[in-house]
Amino acid sequence: MPQLVTVRVKRPDRRRIRVWVPVLPAVLVFSPVVVLAVLGVVVACLVYRVGVARALNTGRRVVCALPGTRFDMEYSRTAVLVIIR
Amino acid sequence: MNEQRRDILDMLAEGKITADEAERLIAALEGDRSPAAAGPAARPKGRAKYLRVVMEFVEDGEAGRLNVRAPLQLLRAGVQLAALIPPRALERANAELSKSGVPFDLTQLKPEHLGALVEHLDETVVELEMSDGHLRVYCE
Repeated sequence: MPQLVTVRVKRPDRRRIRVWVPVLPAVLVFSPVVVLAVLGVVVACLVYRVGVARALNTGRRVVCALPGTRFDMEYSRTAVLVIIR
Repeated sequence: MNEQRRDILDMLAEGKITADEAERLIAALEGDRSPAAAGPAARPKGRAKYLRVVMEFVEDGEAGRLNVRAPLQLLRAGVQLAALIPPRALERANAELSKSGVPFDLTQLKPEHLGALVEHLDETVVELEMSDGHLRVYCE
């Protein structure tokens, strides 16, 4: 399960933005939205006749496999870095 | 018995795959499960953990660089998404592929097959050299 997401953005005007997002507190804060999203997934699974348990399990596996992901892009004087720990 | 193992045995019973292929797929399934269950120490030494995509390019005279590191575990989990594609969508995609002259049956593409493919990515290196940059995809 991801613990921390780090986002760093370097803008062309040399301004830098650094954001650290602790995942668990963020999920707790947005829990009503998370519940709605899960309900939406369940409805979509029922409409398209996809196994609900299998879909949720796959989603959980994808989320749990995210730690270690790193995306780093630099172009001209702009740079974006996303690290999931 | 879990669902994936049952699918493999069903394919074997139907004669779609040989016993050797079934054995390899089951081994790949167990390999997929063991690192999470036994922790990183149980992983064989030197086995790749990440897929790296490194690209350097020049566009409009400006230099750019892309560096992506994705855990192979994420790819293994991602291939399971193939099982969630609704059959109707697969049929439509098959029809469009046939129309385009690609007679490929996507319904025969199982997550186990893709999982086995990911298992063998370890030693794959893709390098692309262009006049305005280069791309390298490898595992580490």
